Amino acid sequence: MGTVIIDGQEVELKDGERLNCIQLAARVQNDIPRYCWHPGLTVVASCRMCLVQIGKKDPKTGEISITPKLVPGCQTLVSDGMVIVTTSDEVKNSRAMVEEDLLLRHPVDCPICDKAGECYLQDYHFQYGRDERRADIKPFTSRRREMGDTITLFVDRCVMCTRCVRFTREISGTNEMMIIDRGARDEIDVFPGFPLANKLSGNVADICPVGALCDKEFLYEQRVWYMKSHDNVCAGCSTGCSIFVHENQERIYRLMPRENQQINQWWMCDDGRYGWKHVHDEQRVTTPRKREGDTYTNIEWSPLLAGLDATLKNAKRLAVVLSPMLTVEEAYLLAKYARTIDEHALIAVGYVPVEGEDETFKSGFTIRAEKCPNRLGVSKVASHFQGELVAWSDLPARLASETFDALWLTGGYGHAWLADDMAATLVNIPTLIVQDMFTSAAYEAATYQLPGASFAEREGSYVNHADRLQSFQWAIRPPQGVQPEGRVYWQLLKLPGLYNGRRVMEDLAREIVYFAAAQQPVPPTGVDLKVNLLAAQPAGATV
Amino acid sequence: MPSPEIILTIVKVALMIGGLMTAAAYFVLLERRVAAWTQDRIGPNRVGMPLTNWRLWGLGQPLADGVKFITKEEYTPAHVDKPLFILAPISILVAALAVFAAVPVGSYLPVPESWGLGDKVDLVVAPHMDVGMLYVFALSSVAVYGVVLGGWASNNKYSFIGGLRSSAQLVAYELPLGLGILGVVLAAGSLDLEEIIRAQVRDGVWYAFAQPLGFIVFGVAAFAEAGRLPFDLPECEQELVGGYHTEYSSLKLLLFLVAEFLHMILASFLIVILFFGGWSLPFGLTGAADAEQLSLAMGIFRLLVMSGKVFLVIVFFMLARWSWPRFRYDQLMALALKVMLPLGILNLVSLAVFYELRANITGGGGWGYEMLQLLACWVVCGAAWLAVAYARPLVADNRPRRDINSYRIDSQV
Amino acid sequence: MRSDDPNITWIKEPELRLAGRMYLPLFAEGLATTFRHMAKAITNPVTVSYPEEEPDIGNPLIYRGVHRLNRDEQGRVRCVACFMCATACPAYCIDIIGAESPWPDREKYPESFTIDELRCIYCGMCEEACPVDAIELTSLYNLTGRSREEMIFDKEKLLSVYDVTKDQEPTKSTRMGVKAPS
Repeated sequence: MGTVIIDGQEVELKDGERLNCIQLAARVQNDIPRYCWHPGLTVVASCRMCLVQIGKKDPKTGEISITPKLVPGCQTLVSDGMVIVTTSDEVKNSRAMVEEDLLLRHPVDCPICDKAGECYLQDYHFQYGRDERRADIKPFTSRRREMGDTITLFVDRCVMCTRCVRFTREISGTNEMMIIDRGARDEIDVFPGFPLANKLSGNVADICPVGALCDKEFLYEQRVWYMKSHDNVCAGCSTGCSIFVHENQERIYRLMPRENQQINQWWMCDDGRYGWKHVHDEQRVTTPRKREGDTYTNIEWSPLLAGLDATLKNAKRLAVVLSPMLTVEEAYLLAKYARTIDEHALIAVGYVPVEGEDETFKSGFTIRAEKCPNRLGVSKVASHFQGELVAWSDLPARLASETFDALWLTGGYGHAWLADDMAATLVNIPTLIVQDMFTSAAYEAATYQLPGASFAEREGSYVNHADRLQSFQWAIRPPQGVQPEGRVYWQLLKLPGLYNGRRVMEDLAREIVYFAAAQQPVPPTGVDLKVNLLAAQPAGATV
Repeated sequence: MPSPEIILTIVKVALMIGGLMTAAAYFVLLERRVAAWTQDRIGPNRVGMPLTNWRLWGLGQPLADGVKFITKEEYTPAHVDKPLFILAPISILVAALAVFAAVPVGSYLPVPESWGLGDKVDLVVAPHMDVGMLYVFALSSVAVYGVVLGGWASNNKYSFIGGLRSSAQLVAYELPLGLGILGVVLAAGSLDLEEIIRAQVRDGVWYAFAQPLGFIVFGVAAFAEAGRLPFDLPECEQELVGGYHTEYSSLKLLLFLVAEFLHMILASFLIVILFFGGWSLPFGLTGAADAEQLSLAMGIFRLLVMSGKVFLVIVFFMLARWSWPRFRYDQLMALALKVMLPLGILNLVSLAVFYELRANITGGGGWGYEMLQLLACWVVCGAAWLAVAYARPLVADNRPRRDINSYRIDSQV
Repeated sequence: MRSDDPNITWIKEPELRLAGRMYLPLFAEGLATTFRHMAKAITNPVTVSYPEEEPDIGNPLIYRGVHRLNRDEQGRVRCVACFMCATACPAYCIDIIGAESPWPDREKYPESFTIDELRCIYCGMCEEACPVDAIELTSLYNLTGRSREEMIFDKEKLLSVYDVTKDQEPTKSTRMGVKAPS
């Protein structure tokens, strides 16, 4: 308990809170500028941008005494009765001087710098810097230095905040980056022969407050102010990192981590970060087609769906394979549609790609071996309808023991995935409907070929490995000819209006106990289904 | 073999329609040139003889305009009332053309007896129409139907407002128009337009000078009826896009535009016939009013005199467009109902009184009395004008009132 | 804004005197103005009969005609693909694809630089926004083309406009005596 006064405004502290001045100021929408401080890294207080005046209020007399020296706000923990001043002339002068110092040798090549527009140095200079330049050092071009396969360093743009160095030491634990030389000559570099080559390397470009560290994939691709940001969830593995999709005119340019303390904190891995390339792959299938005899004809979606519906209604036994790339809502709609046609339709879970082992970094950030975002959610939906879990590996046995008239196979993986023996089993089914982004042996043999959407085009929710459900909206429109799965199922079920993930989730959460916690609107960081479930269920109930 | 009269009528109708359409096309060119001149420009001067380099001061422009209009996309919006939408331009053009049946374009031309037409041909499609005036006003009132139909059938706010404005304006100005004519009818004692011209020649003074007040009332009303600036509120572009013909394109729009020009030509004809002595010139230059025989030269001279007068009035119409700003709508209505209507009534009453007084004097009183009456008419006109100036019926303060409490003002704003 | 806002100054129309109310002087004034202009139209019209007569464009430094992309001393495109012009463009007619430059002393250059001359409104914002004086509007006014595609100028075409016009019109910074930013 305690009270802190910041610029005349009283802020109550909660019990046991340890906040520094920057965090406290953020509570009252007072943004203290800083370069070196990052909430996920240790404090070094080296940039001196966050200098503030602090003082003490005497509880008896009410007198305020201010300390003569400015202190770094990032390093100073607040305590009861503390007074913080961020608007005095001393603080303003100090900020202006730090800005001027940083800009002494910073090349003013903002026009060609990729960070321009989201650069701390730019923003703080406009806000706190001097109006004119007093130094006679002319702007120059920055030297470039390769850090690794993913990151390049513009040496002279660096402000020596050492965020990247601390990141490789504390978060990835790989220690590639360091400071060479001393004093005014110090520079960032990697140890000779040890390039920046860990799977979290892309994060150093995100945390770099200036344009020094740049992502090679993104370099000169797009100016940041053209891009629109969309909240999304990474579909790379079952960690389900919260991300931003940055797109311009329906084209993704980069993915960036979105802060989510429950899942990924501030980071994401390179696999996920660069895992959007398949979205704009030339090879993606974009025309819905129908097979008649041995030839395929291109067909519009609405007659296709009508024909598909009629064909399935004639079939007696129906099986549906729910891909773990589908959202919970989509899986639910498809399963429900299958059950309206055949009330004993087989609902199975699709292929779950697993690569290697879980990879855990020093900070605890883990890249899962399970390379799909929603195995848990889809499994819960499938077992709710089926009563038991029919996995991908169980499918050949089920197909052998029973004859099915029709099978609906969903994919959506960013790579080739269908094993040959499985494909050979599937092509024997009279009516095979395959919904996928890329062609495969089964797709080639399908009666109906339905081009499917990528993660950025979907709307719905994923459940990650730890039962955390995150909802998201589509970030880009699918290419011409492609319909996102949810919209297709919505039309087949003849539901009113347009596909709306939230409405499906409300129904679903009422129907399937596991998803009960998602009945309320899901916050951007998601809801923990497990915790809510334990609270909602009487002890001993099976989930 | 039809009778010579029927052939003559067919020829007259053909000449009339052909002539009017050509005239309308060339008046569009004239209008554009006048507009250009008043704006320090040159105007369309490039299109000349097709397939040659002869520019002929842009005289080929009407042809190009016509081809352009006809080859444009004939677009009918989906939301219109189709039968009415098509009917509107046709009705307005048909009415505008039909009016000219009773309008004389000169006096008459002598023809050989052998043609079987008597010794002369009247330069009017339907000669000796005793109710010519009534016919003209009955048909020109049909124009408002075309406008209202167009506005209504277009099913569009701007068109509808244009149509509404138009109907209110035309109905309001029919009154002063009629009152202006009544004075002339009173003086001439006939509704036959040819007879009115002859009456002016007999009196030796054009009615524009004999009845100045009537002329002003009629002239202003004629401008308003023709929908010309400063009275073109039905289609003022700044407020209503195109008014009642916003939704029209290609040929149908052309019909509307031609009809507008025909209205202007008709208004010019009426002004000339009723107030400027038709084919006559002062000092007997054009012969006696009731001359039974005319030489061919004199017949053509009368035709040219009348055409020249009409041309001058039309040029005045065009100059007026660039000289004075458009009236606000409330001013327009106030002008019709608060100014022109009382002035028209005053004109009629004063003329009736003067003629009644003169009729009681034996033998009409001679030229001295006639000059006295002329003077009296000018005095009445001046007095009425002064009275209007003092009464200021057009001045209206449309600003929000500030003497009532402020939130009510805001609701007005 | 409320009608009793103190910032509003309410003014009254000037009262017309008798002559004004009679309308006749105004009537005559209107006609007189019309005739004055008609006289001017005949003696000294503002119209320029273009193909026969060349227009007077005034100061070529501030005339806004066809764009060009300037070259630097070594003949390379001066543009650094910073997208400032594309950002400033109100008509969205500039499309740039940036890339790493093939030259050691330059970081970024435009791989492709196209201007849709038909979409352009010739406002000069691109020229104003350019930090390296790479894009400029020349005083060429007679720009024509036979197709829409022809009027989409690519980098080579824009550079060729520079080659054609550089002798009559050196870069604007040179003409104004300002050192060009490097």
